[in-house]
This record gives sequence, C-alpha cells and structure tokens, in this order.
Amino acid sequence: MAASVAKSRSLPGLLVQAALVVIVLALPLALDPYGYPLFVATQLGVYVIAAIGLNLLAGYAGQVSLGHGAFIAIGAYATALLTVDHGWSFWLAALAGVVLSALMGVLMALPSFRLSTWYFAFITLAFAQVFEKMIVEWRGLTKGFAGVVGVQPPSVFGHVLEPAGVYWLVAIIAIIGFWLVNNIVHSRFGRGFVAVRDAPAAAQAAGASPARLKLLAFVIAACFAGVAGAFFAVQKTVVTPDDFTAEFSIFFLLTVVLGGLGTRWGPVVGALVFFLVPELLTGLESWRMMVYGAALLALMLFAPHGLVGAARSLFDRLRPKQAAQPAETVPPEAAHEAAHVERPAISGLSLEVKDLRKSFGGVVALGGVDLSVAPGTCAAIVGPNGSGKTTLLNVVGAYYRRDAGAVLLGGRETKGLSPQQIAGEGLGRTFQTPRLLGELTVLDNVLLGAYRRERASLAGTMLRLPGAMLEAAQLRAEAMELLAFVGVADRAHDLASETPHGHQRLVEIARALMGGARLIMLDEPAAGLSLTELDRLEQLIRRILALGATVVIVEHHLDLVASIASHVTVLDRGAVLASGSPQAVFADAAVMAAYMGERALNDPPAGDLCHPRPAEAEGA
Amino acid sequence: MDIDILARGLVAGSLYALVAVSFNILYRPTNVFNFAQGELVMLGAMIFASLATVLGWPWYAALIITLVGVGLLTLLIDVVAVAPVLARSQHGTGWVITTLAASLIIANGVNRIWGPDPIVVRPPAPLTTDTFSLAGMTVSAYQIFLVLLTIILVLAIEQVYRTRQGKAVLAVAEDREAALLRGVNPLRLSRWSFFLGGAFAGLTGVLAAPVLYASTGLGPALLLKGFAAAAVGSIGNNRGALIAGYLIGVTEALGAALLSPGYQEAVVFLLVLCVLLVWPHGLFGRPFARTV
Repeated sequence: MAASVAKSRSLPGLLVQAALVVIVLALPLALDPYGYPLFVATQLGVYVIAAIGLNLLAGYAGQVSLGHGAFIAIGAYATALLTVDHGWSFWLAALAGVVLSALMGVLMALPSFRLSTWYFAFITLAFAQVFEKMIVEWRGLTKGFAGVVGVQPPSVFGHVLEPAGVYWLVAIIAIIGFWLVNNIVHSRFGRGFVAVRDAPAAAQAAGASPARLKLLAFVIAACFAGVAGAFFAVQKTVVTPDDFTAEFSIFFLLTVVLGGLGTRWGPVVGALVFFLVPELLTGLESWRMMVYGAALLALMLFAPHGLVGAARSLFDRLRPKQAAQPAETVPPEAAHEAAHVERPAISGLSLEVKDLRKSFGGVVALGGVDLSVAPGTCAAIVGPNGSGKTTLLNVVGAYYRRDAGAVLLGGRETKGLSPQQIAGEGLGRTFQTPRLLGELTVLDNVLLGAYRRERASLAGTMLRLPGAMLEAAQLRAEAMELLAFVGVADRAHDLASETPHGHQRLVEIARALMGGARLIMLDEPAAGLSLTELDRLEQLIRRILALGATVVIVEHHLDLVASIASHVTVLDRGAVLASGSPQAVFADAAVMAAYMGERALNDPPAGDLCHPRPAEAEGA
Repeated sequence: MDIDILARGLVAGSLYALVAVSFNILYRPTNVFNFAQGELVMLGAMIFASLATVLGWPWYAALIITLVGVGLLTLLIDVVAVAPVLARSQHGTGWVITTLAASLIIANGVNRIWGPDPIVVRPPAPLTTDTFSLAGMTVSAYQIFLVLLTIILVLAIEQVYRTRQGKAVLAVAEDREAALLRGVNPLRLSRWSFFLGGAFAGLTGVLAAPVLYASTGLGPALLLKGFAAAAVGSIGNNRGALIAGYLIGVTEALGAALLSPGYQEAVVFLLVLCVLLVWPHGLFGRPFARTV
C-alpha cells in the first residue's frame, strides 16, 4: 500500500491514470449509443461506486458488511419512488436516497460499534434479510413484487440524458469517488481506519476513537451505496425486490475480496473481473452460490489481498532487489547524529495514583497501589511477572476501568475519561509487544500519533484543500524529525512489518512523542533488545527526560532501571512492596525475595545484589 | 391475544436458545462466531430426516450418525477455513468471510442433494406431534418435551464447564497464552470445540425437525435468531441464551399475531438493536476484556 503511494505520485503513474480516465470517458464514442455493451458498461460503473465504498469499510476499516445490497436498495427505491410517484427531480431524489442510506447506516452501526467486529457483520446480514422481506411486505409503499417501473434518466440543464450521458455521469462520479476515497485513505482518517482494523489499542493511544472511526467509515460506505443505488434505478429503469436478494450483498463482498480488500485498485479490478463472471456463469445458475462460496474461501486463504495484492507481490518478486540494508545493526555514527536533532522542550506532567484497585473476577490485580511521579522525572515500576505492572499502566491509561482509587494526571482526576481523551491530555504510551500497523510505512505509523493534533476537516482532507495539505506536509516534516530524533530516519519509508523488533520499539516512542505526549509510559521497552540497542534506548530516554517530559517505565532490566530512574516502585501480587531511590530499593531484602525467591537470598550468587543480572531477574 | 402465542414463543425460543448454545460452545475457547452454524443445524435436520424418515433407521442410530457427521464437517471447517486465517492474524476477522463462505457452500450443496421439498419427521414414540389442550394452550407432547429437554441441556452444559476440561476451555477463552503456559493445549481444545459445537448444531437440527420439518431453507433464519439469542443473552452465557431465546421467541410470536407474519423478522431485529444499544454486551453481564 505504502509502495503504491509513492508510485501514484510519480510521473509514469500519473500518466497511466490519465490514460485510464481518457479511455473510460471515450468509451461511449466507440459503442452503439443504445446498445447492450453501453448498458453493461454503465452498470459496471454503478457497481464500482458501491464497491469503492465497501472497500473503505471492509478493507481499510476492517468492518465487514454482509448486507451492503440493502443500502444500495435504499438508494434505488428512494430514487425510483420519489421520481416516479412524486415527480421529484432525479437529483433531489438521489440526495434523499443518499441521506436515508447514511441514516440507516448510522442506525446499524450504533449498537455494534462498541462491540467486536463480527457483531457488525451479523447485524448487517440481518438487516439485509429483514429489508428484503419489508420491501415485499410494505406493498403500499414499494408496490411489492411488481416493483417500481419507468424510472426516468436525470436531466442536466433541462436536457434529459441519453444512455451515453448517463454513462458519462456514472463514470465521472466513479472517478471522483475513487479520488475522494484515495485522499481519505492517505489522511489521518485512513491511518485511523487501518489502526482500528489492526491495532485498536494503538488507535486509542494515538487519541483516536475507534467507535467514531467505525461510524465514519460506515456512513461513507452507506453514502456511496446510496449514490450507486440512485444510478442503479436509473440505469435499469425498473426496481424490484428480486434485484436485492442476499445474493446481491454477497456479490459485492466477493467483488472487493476478489479485487483485494484494502487495496486502492481492488474494487475497480474486482468489479471489472467479477462483472464478467456472472455473464459466463449463466449456464451454472444453480451452482452460483457454491462458486461464490468457494471463491471467497480460496481468496481469503491464498490471496487475502485479492488480485491486486497477488499482482503486486508477483511484481515485487520479479523486480530486482535494491541493495539490502543491514537489518539489525545501525552504524554508530547514525545513532550519534540522532542526538543532534533539536526538539522543543516538553512541559512534563505529574502523575499521582492513590489506592488504585482492580480485580479480574476473583483475581486481585491491583490491591491499593500508590504512586507519585514528579514532572520531568523518571519513575520505574518493577516486579515479578503477574505482579500488576502492565495492569497499572492500563488502568492509568483507562484501557481498563478501575474498581476504586484516584488517578491524577497533571493534577487533574482522569475518572470517566476514555483512553483517547487521556491520550489527548498528554499521556503517551508504548506496548509490551509493539502495536505498529504492519501494512503502513514507519513514517505513517509515526503520523498516526498526530491523529488528535491534526485539525483539518474531513471535507478539507477529501478535497485536498490547501490548508489541509499544508498541515499534512508540516506534520510529515515533524514526523521525519522525530524519526531522526529516535534514530530510525533511514527506515521511514519501509513497511513497519519489515522493520526489526528493536526499531519497532523506537518507532512507538516516536509515535507517542508525535502525539504531543508530556508523560510517556514505556511497557518493557528493553525486552528483546541487543546490547547496542539497549544502549541507544537508554540514551533516547535520557534525551526525552532532558526535554522535560515525564517517563514511567515498566522494566525487568534492573541495570537500565538503576541507571535512569530517580524513583523505583516494586509491585508484588498487586501491592507496593517497596518504593524509593533505586539504591535503597534494590538493597531491600524483601524485594530480592520477591524477585529471586527465598533460596537465592540464603545462598546469594557471586555478584552485587544491588545490580542483579537481568537473566536472573527474568528467570524468577 | 391468546395464550397460544406464549406456547409458540416458548417452543421457537427453545430452538433459538439451542442454536445460541451451539454458537457459545464453539465461541468460548476460540473467539470465533461461526457463520455456518445455521446451515449446520439445517444439515443436521436433513441427515436425520433422510436416515430416520426416508431410510427408516431407528432414531438413536440416525441421531448418532447425524451428530458425528455434522461434528466432523465442522471440524473440517476449522481445519480448512478458520485455523489458517487465525494463524495469519489472531485479531483479524477473516474468519467472518471464510465461515460465511463455508455456509454458502453447505447451503448450495445440500440444496443440490435434497432439493427444496421439506421432509416430515416424526418424533420417536411415545412422543407425538398430536396436539391437545393444556391450560388453554394447544400443545403437543413433543413440544413439551422439547422445552424441557432444552432446559436440561443448558443446565447440563453449565455443569460441564465446572469440570477440569470445562475450566480449561474458559481459561483459553480468557487468555490463550497464559493457558498454554499452564499446560492447556489451545489447538486441541479449539478442534474439540468445533467438533462439539458442530455436533450440538446437528442435535439442534434433529430436535427442530419434528416442529419445523426438515427443509433446506432453515439455515438463514436460524442463524440470525440464534445470533439474536446469543447476543441478547450475552455471548458465552448459556443460561442467558435460554432466557433470551424465550424473549425472542415470544416477541416474534407476538409480532406475527399483532402485526402480520411478514413482520416477525423485523420485530426480532428491532428488539436486538434496542437491547444492544442499551446493553452492548447483552442482558446478562459482560465478558472480561483483557486485551492490551
């Protein structure tokens, strides 16, 4: 995906796109103005419009709609009924159809968007089934099985459009729709959608509300379906319940899966290829659902990014590899250079935790924990596995709801705030296992952090208005600067999934800084790092502290903790065992007992007890 | 309004509860909500009808073959359609599409083998579907048996979850990695859950056959009402599913009686939407979410 962004902005890419637009628009000149091929081409355009919307929803935002046909039906019926029965102009009727479709979309999304994704799939499936029945049931409104007959083509400036005119209208709308969705995909909204799909917690850490993003994706998809429905009615001139069976929805799902979920050209390619298939399948009518099912299964198993994805991986394999960069080791001078990036000072936030309690069922994860971190200092939380360290971070960040206690961030109680709101207050975090969006570039991952800071409106982003473009460019430059600050600028354009583990941790820190974090919680940042990487991490944390930010670090690596933290809190089974300066805490016998067991104390290993080796600590 | 609506609602509701329980059995350790479940119920009804009614086998033999057959097919769905997708990404919802695909394949395949005509299935003696009057309701012995058996099955399954194996299932559902560390094999449990969830769907089909007749069109409606019962009763909660099943069955019967039979799906759908709006995790509690 990321690779295609760069490609599309290149000159040959633009030329190919311009040539495609010319071919699409010139098509009617080569066809019989009243013939079947033009009819089919118009229908194809209608399907492409609907598929583009569904791809945004199912492909990018990961919300599978199994009843998309129903939203097309709403647009089609609204347009047909309002123009035929009530004499509305096509344009007004189509607008009403789009609004209705979007409203139904909101209604379907509202109950499900707080829940797992598959609820949404079920609800849309049920909606399509109910809607299909209702079309027949509300005979008075919809004319039942007979359908609405005689839908007239729209007029432009008083001229009723000929079939070629309708084609042009559909083609232009499809092209504009493609452009708009493309702009969304490459904006903060697009990054947010992918985050909702692949790592909802990362979206929240960046201050984005998964629920709102899902709703947005669904409303956009429903609008596209409504537009497609309006032209569906015009192009067929008759609208009947038989047009909108369950099969129709499955057809659209297969279209986007075939072309490639979450790929730019997927819906176009899928519609183009799949549109010809039912024509070929006429002899196999009774096997159609079997063929659809088998195709969906095979594609999901063997080509999850569809034809476009398969073509791209083939292309990548055939293309000569660029000189491979060394994966693990970064030249020391690069790390050195990183130190020279100037960043504005950060005014660190204080954190005050009082008597915090959290249980999971009968298991007490936090049994009254106190913690106090002064602005601009580094506090470490250590303790054996299962002692409640990560739970503490999650309750502070509101990822878990607390049972009791107080959490004050910068002196303000955070009770009742959502994780994304707390992120907006200046709380940044990294995760124990890095939550990067593997299909986006490293740079895009850092940009996700700025989700809440970016002010451009959806319309400005969609239409690429100057203000929005300027802001996007500024944030991009800042993200590059932050990547240089953490020392991975050379990997900015690589896919996050292809960057080594140690770098992923640094990218997460850059993402937190990008969000304007004034207090950063690092969850085991040193786990799995090599010695060189560990050294760089320590330097980085020192530089972040030097800027003025507050750091809370959960870590098993006691050498690192002893060296950077000014205050250490030891948790054991959800309670604070010891708290104080690193020297004092690590000399405490009770702490050592919790960490290494009683026997280790009675028979101390050769070495300094104040600085146990990490291997021993982790083995405990 | 007559009291028959209540009887109809309880009978239909029992069936929805059974479908919901079959969803839950499969969902608890795997977190997969199988979209082919409706067609598996339908397949169970068809196999049993063919063996018992058409071929005249004794009911217990037909029942065993049905349960094993549907269970094995569900296991095949796991191996072919679900496990490979989950192996690629634990968070993805690719399985929504692959289990839907399995559902399309089963529906079309069964339709081609059996055709659209329903098969009448008689319950084993002494149960009959002959109706009589009981406290003002028109009921049959089989209907009473079905309602009672559903309650017994739900309670029995709750007991199973109290055993060692049952607790392992719950442990895996809650935290796959932690369970693995304590010697539970999640892969084996997933396979078993698919087999048992499928077999239970087959059993549901067998039990539904005398009431609804065995027909290839049963799948989609049972899928959605089973989902409705599971969601309203809180996913994974079998007692919740039972009560939600009754609620949905009675609501549907009321909608059909007061409005028109054509509205019964719409009424159920509205009920589910409203419940989920107010209680997103259903009426009977929310599962733990330990995600980060």
